[in-house]
Amino acid sequence: MTALHLYGKLRRFATEQSPRAASILRVRVEPGERLGDLVDRLGIPREELGSNLFVDGRYASLETRLAAPLRIGLFPDDMQLLYKWYFRPQEESPDAG
Amino acid sequence: MERILRINMTDRTATFEPVPDRYAHRAGRWLTSSIVHDEVPPTSHPLSPDNVVVFSPGVVTGTAAPTSSRISVGAKSPLTGTIKEANAGTGWGGRLARLGIRAIVVEGMASGDDWWLVKVSQDEGRFEPADEWSGIKLSEAYASIYERYGGVEAIDVCAIGVAGEQRMAAAGVCFSDREGRASRYAGRGGIGAVLGSKRLKAIIVDDSGAEGVSIADQALFDEGRKKVADALMSHDITKPKGALNTYGTAVLVNIINEAGALPTRNFREGRFDGAEKIAGEAIFDGNKERTGSELYNHPCSPGCIIACSNVWHREDGSEHTSCIEYESDWALGANCGIDDLDAIAEMNQLCNEYGLDTIEMGGTIAVAMEGGVAAFGDAQRAIELLHEVGEATPRGRILGNGAVVTGRAYGVERVPHVKGQNMPAYEPRAIKGIGMTYATTPMGADHTAGYTIAPEILGVSEKLDPLDPDKASVAKGFQEATAFIDSTGHCLFIAFAILDIESGFEGMIDECNGVLGTNWDADDVTRIGGEILALERAFNRKAGFTNVHDRLPAFMESEPLPPHDAVWDISDAELDKVSE
Repeated sequence: MTALHLYGKLRRFATEQSPRAASILRVRVEPGERLGDLVDRLGIPREELGSNLFVDGRYASLETRLAAPLRIGLFPDDMQLLYKWYFRPQEESPDAG
Repeated sequence: MERILRINMTDRTATFEPVPDRYAHRAGRWLTSSIVHDEVPPTSHPLSPDNVVVFSPGVVTGTAAPTSSRISVGAKSPLTGTIKEANAGTGWGGRLARLGIRAIVVEGMASGDDWWLVKVSQDEGRFEPADEWSGIKLSEAYASIYERYGGVEAIDVCAIGVAGEQRMAAAGVCFSDREGRASRYAGRGGIGAVLGSKRLKAIIVDDSGAEGVSIADQALFDEGRKKVADALMSHDITKPKGALNTYGTAVLVNIINEAGALPTRNFREGRFDGAEKIAGEAIFDGNKERTGSELYNHPCSPGCIIACSNVWHREDGSEHTSCIEYESDWALGANCGIDDLDAIAEMNQLCNEYGLDTIEMGGTIAVAMEGGVAAFGDAQRAIELLHEVGEATPRGRILGNGAVVTGRAYGVERVPHVKGQNMPAYEPRAIKGIGMTYATTPMGADHTAGYTIAPEILGVSEKLDPLDPDKASVAKGFQEATAFIDSTGHCLFIAFAILDIESGFEGMIDECNGVLGTNWDADDVTRIGGEILALERAFNRKAGFTNVHDRLPAFMESEPLPPHDAVWDISDAELDKVSE
């Protein structure tokens, strides 16, 4: 299972929610799935996502192909604090082989 | 007419003099670094009468330009031995600017055991005895000073706490916020100790009768400030109820933690398992739980649109501290292994009360924990240690002199610092760009000197080419742009909006041209930033610093940082390109 950490306004999609602790959704990643597919499957609107998306601590994009990551972190569009013009998201997750 | 107020502590005189022609158009960091460069012998001891403390509001500080109430404070640093500029958001600098005072230069050293306060007003700088405010908490001192001199509408206050009085190298310079709290710090580099060595406890500014900042081209200035305001009001990060207004700068805790770059337990790991408990979201929700309402943050200073300054409340809804910024939250929290916001709030408040830089103190406590003085995560012991600093016990004096001194005292190898200043809240092994800034800025490890969070190399070591020339030029470019922004009086956080929204960047230049009557363009931003850095580096070279000092601690080259298991692998040659 992958721990999907949700932040800011996206915390409403978490099953394990606490106002003062982690907000996590445990998900199973399908073989060959991209981050965008997973987000769609979970009903998280793409327009609420920003550029600060992480797969196993690495900057990612909705196109990033997932291969059994342990941890995904999604920040909403109003929390893109990392300067986006330096971001070159990996198209493949690090353990995609 | 623009003037400089020279406060001579040796003979206790305060004299106005015209701004010399060579300092035309210089303000903020540009002016503080110019005066320190020109007047302080580089090899002098920072706590000797030869050092000066320079205060300068930025080019547009004191005008209607949004988010522009920064005051720069410069000196030779007792923490690093380098030139230093630290700045804070406060109404204090705006009052100074409206009085036509481009800088205050505090020089010399008072003899005897008395403490002094200087009241600056339209016609004079008046010395008054200040013994009654020494040795007490800064909140009590501020309340008493406000009562004596007319309240928050009449004056703003700058003072040092007991740490500065005791000439500790982690002592900051404290300024008042809009509500008169003793909470806004030009924290880094120990300039509070320099003021303490001169026995200057406080400077208060009363701007009654002030004519205001003279503006050469009002129409151009107005056009510029509107462009900056529009950018700030529309950008997701800086707009009202945007990320900074809602979660404060501690919004970064979860982001940097997710990236595996949140220094944890004295830079042992890049991810903290208690991050979510201390992050901006937890502060917002915790306050909501305790006060029953959604509290958006407040401006630290007049005219700020971003309004990122928070207040943390106790369980009974009363105010505990302001402000838990990202750096303070991290330094006193994750870096010490502490995940309890109430404990972090208490430590933050103690730093405010004793006059300490939260970043240096969090880093120092973490080094002390590494040395066995306390266990990581032991919040109660950490609080006791801060009280020891405030009481100036022998151990407190060690801690109050920062992470390097503490590391020596307790035999700790792992002291994450550059040039004697503890690193802030971004792990350089995971974010190499910020490591280049830490290494090469003239200030010692300082994230604000060039916010080079370059995520294309965020732990992605297989993509990292250490000889990629872009990295050096990016680090150099950011340091130049930052030195310029630090001279305008704008808060560095406007960068989020003006680097995304081109008209905002133009607006910043228009504002400066409007005030000064200059014709600067984007190239001048780089040119002026480069000149400031050249001055600062020239001072440091004469003080004995060479490229060998532009390096990170050796343990970072050999010790892999989880979760990415990254090491510091930027070559010396690459680092040296930044300062060429």
